[in-house]
Amino acid sequence: MLYDVGMRITYSYDRPAAGGRHLLRLLPADLPGQQRLVSGLLSVSPAPAERSEMVDFFGNYGTEIIFRDLHDEIEFRVDARVERFAEPSGLDISPPLSGLAAEIAEYRSLDPDSPLHFLWSSARVQPTPEMTDYARAHVFDGITAFSAVLAIGRALFRDMEFDAEATTVETLAKEAFARRRGVCQDFAQIMIAMLRGIGVPAGYVSGFLRTNPPPGQPRLEGADAMHAWVRAWCGRDMGWIEFDPTNDLVVSLDHIVIARGRDYGDVSPVRGILRIAGDQTSEQAVDVIPVGAGY
Amino acid sequence: MRPRDGLAAQDAIARLLADYHPLPGVADELLDQTGRIRPVWERFMAHLAALPPEELSARFARGDQYLRDAGVFFRQYGDDNSSERAWPLSHIPVLIDEAEWNTVAEGLIQRADLLEAVVADLYGPNRLVGTGQLPATLVGRSPEWLRPLVGVPPRSGHHLHFLAFELGRGPDGTWWVLGDRAQAPSGAGFALENRMATARVFAELYAEANAHRLAGFFRTFRDALHGLCEDHREPRVAILTPGPLNDTYFEHAYIARYLGFMLLEGEDLTVEKGHVMVRTVGGLMPIDVLWRRLDAAFADPLELNSGSRIGTPGLVGAVRRGNVSLVNALGSGILETRALLAFLPRISMALRGEPLRIPNIATWWCGQPVERAHVRANAARMMIGSALSTRLPFDLDSATGIGGQGRGPEEIDAWIESEGPALVGQEAVTLSTTPAHVDGRLVPRPMSLRAFLVRTARGWEVMPGGFARIGRTPDPTAIAMQRGGSAADVWILGPGPTQSVTMLPEPSVAQPRLKQGALPSRAGDNLFWLGRYIERAEGMMRLLRAHHIRLAETGDPDAPLLTYLDRHLGDVGLDPGQEIPDGLRATLSAATSSAGQVRDRFSTDGWMALNDLSRTARRMAGTARAGDDCARAMGVLLRKITGFSGLVHENMYRFTGWRFLVIGRAMERSMEMAGLLAWLGAPDAPDGALDLAIEIGDSVMTHRRRYAAATTRETVIDLLALDGMNPRAILYQMGEVRNQVALLPGADVNGQLSRLSREVMRLHTDVATQLPEGLDTDALLDLRDRLFDLSGLLSETYLG
Repeated sequence: MLYDVGMRITYSYDRPAAGGRHLLRLLPADLPGQQRLVSGLLSVSPAPAERSEMVDFFGNYGTEIIFRDLHDEIEFRVDARVERFAEPSGLDISPPLSGLAAEIAEYRSLDPDSPLHFLWSSARVQPTPEMTDYARAHVFDGITAFSAVLAIGRALFRDMEFDAEATTVETLAKEAFARRRGVCQDFAQIMIAMLRGIGVPAGYVSGFLRTNPPPGQPRLEGADAMHAWVRAWCGRDMGWIEFDPTNDLVVSLDHIVIARGRDYGDVSPVRGILRIAGDQTSEQAVDVIPVGAGY
Repeated sequence: MRPRDGLAAQDAIARLLADYHPLPGVADELLDQTGRIRPVWERFMAHLAALPPEELSARFARGDQYLRDAGVFFRQYGDDNSSERAWPLSHIPVLIDEAEWNTVAEGLIQRADLLEAVVADLYGPNRLVGTGQLPATLVGRSPEWLRPLVGVPPRSGHHLHFLAFELGRGPDGTWWVLGDRAQAPSGAGFALENRMATARVFAELYAEANAHRLAGFFRTFRDALHGLCEDHREPRVAILTPGPLNDTYFEHAYIARYLGFMLLEGEDLTVEKGHVMVRTVGGLMPIDVLWRRLDAAFADPLELNSGSRIGTPGLVGAVRRGNVSLVNALGSGILETRALLAFLPRISMALRGEPLRIPNIATWWCGQPVERAHVRANAARMMIGSALSTRLPFDLDSATGIGGQGRGPEEIDAWIESEGPALVGQEAVTLSTTPAHVDGRLVPRPMSLRAFLVRTARGWEVMPGGFARIGRTPDPTAIAMQRGGSAADVWILGPGPTQSVTMLPEPSVAQPRLKQGALPSRAGDNLFWLGRYIERAEGMMRLLRAHHIRLAETGDPDAPLLTYLDRHLGDVGLDPGQEIPDGLRATLSAATSSAGQVRDRFSTDGWMALNDLSRTARRMAGTARAGDDCARAMGVLLRKITGFSGLVHENMYRFTGWRFLVIGRAMERSMEMAGLLAWLGAPDAPDGALDLAIEIGDSVMTHRRRYAAATTRETVIDLLALDGMNPRAILYQMGEVRNQVALLPGADVNGQLSRLSREVMRLHTDVATQLPEGLDTDALLDLRDRLFDLSGLLSETYLG
């Protein structure tokens, strides 16, 4: 499936910012066998004084930009063409949940894809007894790791309410869970905390959703802005799978990956250090349109 | 010692040792197992025994006085606050025989090389994890394994350049490594201060005791850091500190002064085009080497801990591009992980084919079944705590304790079983004891010793000395200074005289001199404000003194002149109803806080004078009574504050920093005087206001001598605003500002005056060409506004 992705993020400051430095993770990823970045352009306005590109530990593209002059607005635009490949069907070849620990213990690598990065508390995701108990209540003896991921994701989709006002970008997983409300970021981080709580390595994925669904299917929640979902490690044979708890589905052709990490902090689209005195507001608009398919 | 004195001397030593009883099963530094004094201590003990008690007390006091005079302190953290405490020196040094020390040093060098190999692997090929030498979970879970630094080779080729090892001596007399300090080891500067003080206490003995000197080590260290610079002719080395609230900030400031490095905080630095630059009053200046005393996670909010407010955004990027050397490399803190001690002995065999020459404290990681079982079975004799903690074994925290601290055996079992991979068991340390002088008696106290190593072009060099911690009680866990322990000097004694080395340059070595203008903007800002606050406080004292003298004279708080003056007091933030107003004390503490930010550029005498001033004001606040008493109190404070100003003027080198201090002071004085004259010289001011202005302006006698006539508005304005010879006058102070601004970096560019220079010149000329009758209240207030703007322009130009 081929997509054209267009995104625009603007930040406006009440009073001009004296300068700033930002690390941007906005360009779609190149993931062999899964996703190909055919072309991608990230433009920044006003033009930054400096700009440099980097690849972070988890393999995500990053762009560092520096502003030195006064500015009261910044605009980031992404124009990209991305090809998304069909993934093998979700045949469950994962071990029993109880057997996952032994497979992890044999793991002797800290490569970016190693499950070992994704097993414990990270800065924004700390499993709590409440979340772990919730997760345990939705699995049973003998359940496979993959089924456990699905069961917990579905339960969350059922029990949580999508509410753009209930949380902010800084809200921790346990706080959002206590309210049973939030946006895709909260859904994802809660699910990650639950999976880690029962010993399933789980990470955070940021990305886009196609804007309009194929005919006859409902429009997905989160299609107007950047989206987030979960990846979980289901054993040596099955490896990583991705699940979108905000929409209750296993990720396939409708999702486009930007970045992967342990939690939002590893992939935050715009991480910035700037000196401003007043408030700031931001807006974003996203269009993900299939190419040449007539939609 | 003459033979016939021998017996008496023996008696004296015996008396000295009357209360010295090492515990059974514990090694003692002074006495061997048979209770005899070890050879290395003989001479010292004879000397000590020969000193009468009152002489000894006087000498201890001399050492303490040195530390107080040098301003040595450490910061102690309480439940909800922290405070500066006097340095707790245990006056008796720890003595170690040179031959023994050399063996220790060889072992430490071996360990330092091993640690370099480990950290290079953890941030490089990660073979230790791949081959199972190190559990992947331990590394992956550590907050000190900094992913952004993985795959980033250090520019110098090495991660580690300066290391410390905490050592203890076990019951059988062998040395053990208790912990490795690789992140940002502290203590070397304190070791130097302990030496300075202890050498004063035992001056004659030290001079002939064949103790190795420390200065050579510091020179080696300085040269090593210079050697890391890309351009050896112009080394740009700085110390990066978390700031004055850090518990070892004194050491940062002290060692910066001692080694001649700039002391910087994260906000002093910025990264431009991938290069680390320091913001100085002369503009951005590149930095080549940073000796960081800041934990790596806080060093860069952009790529590391985003909550850090003490870091430099972009620092990791500069490291990645190979444009700066950090001592030690960001990420080295992983080596301090407690659980690593469980694996280092095997890693040494695997990587280097040799066993550790100095063992480390026995450690078992509870992530493995056999080790877990061992810890459970021996829990009562172990310290069990976090596997990933980087604290030293005796820095017990709430989650660590011998035998699991108050937990029952079943609880410990459950704890270890449920949280195994997060825990380690470590053999409870039994440290050796060393003499401490407590309440006039010599008693054995547990001791641990921190040794320091620096990497040179020829390999590691070990400081011939160290920093000893002495326990407050016989309990080895009470050794941390936060828990009341003390510190002692360490003498490595050789058989013959040691080479004496000082920090003075050898004639053949070209000494790099830092360029003028290498004043960080933040330091300049603090000095400028120090000048302003000090002058503001002085002005307040003069106003308050005048108020209380009037009050004492008239006894009538409602007299017109007094109420008129009190309105001005209110305008400058003083409540005339308070004896020592809060506004004055707040100004003094603002001055102290500005000075506290630039301790490395500030003489100890100046610092103490400032603290004395605040203390005195605080004390007076409780006792002074309105009227005469308060007027006298203000007199005392005025004499103290002029004492401080005298120090600044007579003793401070005319660095750029001094100029900012002087400019701040002159600007503040001009603004104050403009405000005072606008008020007291106003047409509707009550009788006596003009004389009051002369009094507050400290110019009574001059006025009498210069103007035969009675006091008029013209004579007052002439003397206090327009007189170029009166240091109280605005014109005089504007001249001072003009002179100093002309000497600042960038004052003129290719013969063209800078904007600031032009504005200063214009204002000075405007004042100089004024006539008294032209300078009415409106003109004075306008002048004050222009001075405010000038202060803003100065900040914008140099200090922003």
